Amino acid sequence: MMRMKTQIILAGVGGQGVLFSSRIFSELGLKLGLEVTGAETHGMSQRGGSVVAHIKIGGYQSPIVRGGTADILYSLDENEAYKNLHFLRQGGLCFVNMTDGGRFDKNIRDHLKKKDITFHAFDASGMAIELGSVMAANICLVGFSVGTGLVPFTYDDLKDVLQSISRKPDLERNLKIFDTGVDLGKKQ
Amino acid sequence: MSQHKDIRVLLGNVAIARGILEAGCHVITSYPGTPSSEIMPAAVAFKKEMGLDVYTEWSVNEKVAYDNALAASIAGKRSAVAMKQVGLNVAADSLMSSAYQGVVGGMLIVSCDDPGPHSSQTEQDSRFFAMFAKVPAYDPSTPQEAMAMIKDAYDLSETFQIPVIFRPTIRLSHGKQSVRLSPPDIIERPAKFEKDPGRWAATPRFRLHLHTKLNESLRQIQERFEKDERWNYEVGENSEANLGIITCSTSYTVLTDLLEELNLKDKVNILKIGTPYPLPHKKVVDFIGRHDKVLIIEETDVVIESQIIDKSKVLGRFTGHIPLQGELIPNVIYGILAKFFGEEGVADLEVKADDELAKLVQDLGLPVRRPTLCAGCPERAAFWAIRRALPEAIYTSDIGCYTLGLNLGAVDTVIDMGAGITLASGFYQAYHQDKNDVPIVATMGDSTFYHSGTSSLINAVYNNTRFILVLLDNEITAMTGMQPTPGIGITADGTEGRKIPLEELVKGCGIKWLRNIDPYDVKEMISLLKEAHAYTKSEDGGIAVIIARRGCVIRYPEALEGQEIKVEITDDCDGCRYCIDHFECPALHFDEENERAEIDRKLCVDCGVCINVCAQKAIVPVDEEGQ
Ligand code: SF4
Ligand code: SF4
Repeated sequence: MMRMKTQIILAGVGGQGVLFSSRIFSELGLKLGLEVTGAETHGMSQRGGSVVAHIKIGGYQSPIVRGGTADILYSLDENEAYKNLHFLRQGGLCFVNMTDGGRFDKNIRDHLKKKDITFHAFDASGMAIELGSVMAANICLVGFSVGTGLVPFTYDDLKDVLQSISRKPDLERNLKIFDTGVDLGKKQ
Repeated sequence: MSQHKDIRVLLGNVAIARGILEAGCHVITSYPGTPSSEIMPAAVAFKKEMGLDVYTEWSVNEKVAYDNALAASIAGKRSAVAMKQVGLNVAADSLMSSAYQGVVGGMLIVSCDDPGPHSSQTEQDSRFFAMFAKVPAYDPSTPQEAMAMIKDAYDLSETFQIPVIFRPTIRLSHGKQSVRLSPPDIIERPAKFEKDPGRWAATPRFRLHLHTKLNESLRQIQERFEKDERWNYEVGENSEANLGIITCSTSYTVLTDLLEELNLKDKVNILKIGTPYPLPHKKVVDFIGRHDKVLIIEETDVVIESQIIDKSKVLGRFTGHIPLQGELIPNVIYGILAKFFGEEGVADLEVKADDELAKLVQDLGLPVRRPTLCAGCPERAAFWAIRRALPEAIYTSDIGCYTLGLNLGAVDTVIDMGAGITLASGFYQAYHQDKNDVPIVATMGDSTFYHSGTSSLINAVYNNTRFILVLLDNEITAMTGMQPTPGIGITADGTEGRKIPLEELVKGCGIKWLRNIDPYDVKEMISLLKEAHAYTKSEDGGIAVIIARRGCVIRYPEALEGQEIKVEITDDCDGCRYCIDHFECPALHFDEENERAEIDRKLCVDCGVCINVCAQKAIVPVDEEGQ
């Protein structure tokens, strides 16, 4: 199902669980028997700073994604989305967590359209809070992308991964948040 | 993870730790520093997971770490010492000498480079240290290769009785890759020091002899590297291609992905070098001989390039084909290839950055999140007090989170570990010579003081200098990821060590004026600083030391429990932005619509320090009763 090679950028600010999302995709790659490389920001231990993770699945050598070649950008924060859009390739996919997707800069949205980049924004944090954990907005966002059917990963594979890497006490909640994201994505 | 037990996606530094343990290492020491800091915690985790009896130590500085590992290797065990690249400057004295004397058990010196630089004072290339000290260097490209190389490096180290430098760059250290794990080699090596004064206590006369032996070892090591096909090999073997590229480290991986992406793999042959020193020169000369032009892409400096004797066909930094500074990220290498292939008429690569997007994003005027101290950081409170108490002072500081005191105007110099004190004493003498004693306030963190503060302080006391030293004791090495210090007395694997309180050290350095304070008590701290200043001016005065102690808010959030002071901003706020621009707590935001400051409850930790900051007295404790 999964395309041979996929490059993903995960962005957010400290404390939003970017590194957990990065684990979701690296474990997914492993599960599918594909080679995984990637990179993480490990800077000062301060909260609220930008965090970016790169994940490259399916036979890449280098850990970092070249600007203009990423297939998917997931951003847990509006501003971090703007800052990392340059990574996306022509025809890439962009999923942003923000309270009001309509507020995303109009000119930039038009520009993305010109580049055939599919843009989706929704309030993953709000959703995740409703279901019990703001920390799980990342899972909601990933679920949403699966629901749209645009990404090259399957529902079942991702669900398996979540099952294997979630901490026991979080598991049920994580799956529920994931499913809610999927349902929302399907409605798009 | 269940079904793929022996394949895991590991962070480069974690893979390095794993490789060291798989190679049967007995002793691992380290001093934290980005990008090397994750190696020690990973080694501790793996030794516990695998039930290995490995000695792991956070040492107080890199030289100390080096010597402790070295002793183990002299006693016949396998050792590793891990540090960041500038840490090797601190350990250089040991490195230079031990290159001559060598080791018995294998010794690996992991020195993580930081091209960029992302989190360092310099972009120095550790492989130059290998050339300088005359020890071999390994330069891995991926976490998986690093793990395999480490085993070979130990074998080489023991065969030639020489310490080996192992140099990952930050992209390897903080990169991730799926790697295959193996069980650790269990090597029985009871400590056994064979006395040999001519070697282990060599006087200059013996040193010449040791140097001669070292040169002979290097010659043999070079031969071994010439024959080696695992780390030094050609990719491509397209006999038609008349262009070649010699490359190493993560640059090799970036190049591979790029050539694949651009479909240019058949246009160029690649020689990948994993052992840049001593360079397998014959191999390199042979490769150059078979091509018309050869480009050298290496990070960070000209280690391979400068070892090539005949450079007539060679392009690189000496010919302006590679930038002299900065990291070789994919788009930089893309630019390098565009120039190279363009000049040689092989391909016409468009250098197409999306300038329009860049401009659109720039026009948004996004808040630039410059690094800043965390909300509620006790160091911010201390800097604030310093700035208020002695606004005219020279502020010498040091390396740690508190370097960010810069943003509060309370840090004027940051040079290297320990220079907070030495620059203070140096400035004192320089001004004192002119009979112009200016106030000087030095700041230094607890970990930095243990690392290299005491010798500087002893020197300053001994030579009659006068200044104020504020030790910012947050009871942890915070910036590099919360490593313990001798002040809290916990060792690398969590077992209890002996505590060495800063107070005892400071007194032991000959300091007569010492006070403690909680920096959250800003008013008290300001008056203490004034008192300290008076002492530096008094007839029989000297250096005044203030220990400003409060645990890091991230590491010890519980410390605030029961002491919270919840604040609010009243209508007295006149929107002057002072608190935001000059105090810079990330929990303080400016509400542009209402033109006033507001508090981000998600970030605010209720430390109450900002109450001291607003001249309008608009920041006040929440009146819980009245609500
Ligand atoms: S709270 Fe005080 S310092 Fe901050 S903007 Fe308002 S008036 Fe200025
Ligand atoms: S109380 Fe004030 S200084 Fe402390 S974290 Fe909150 S906003 Fe920042």
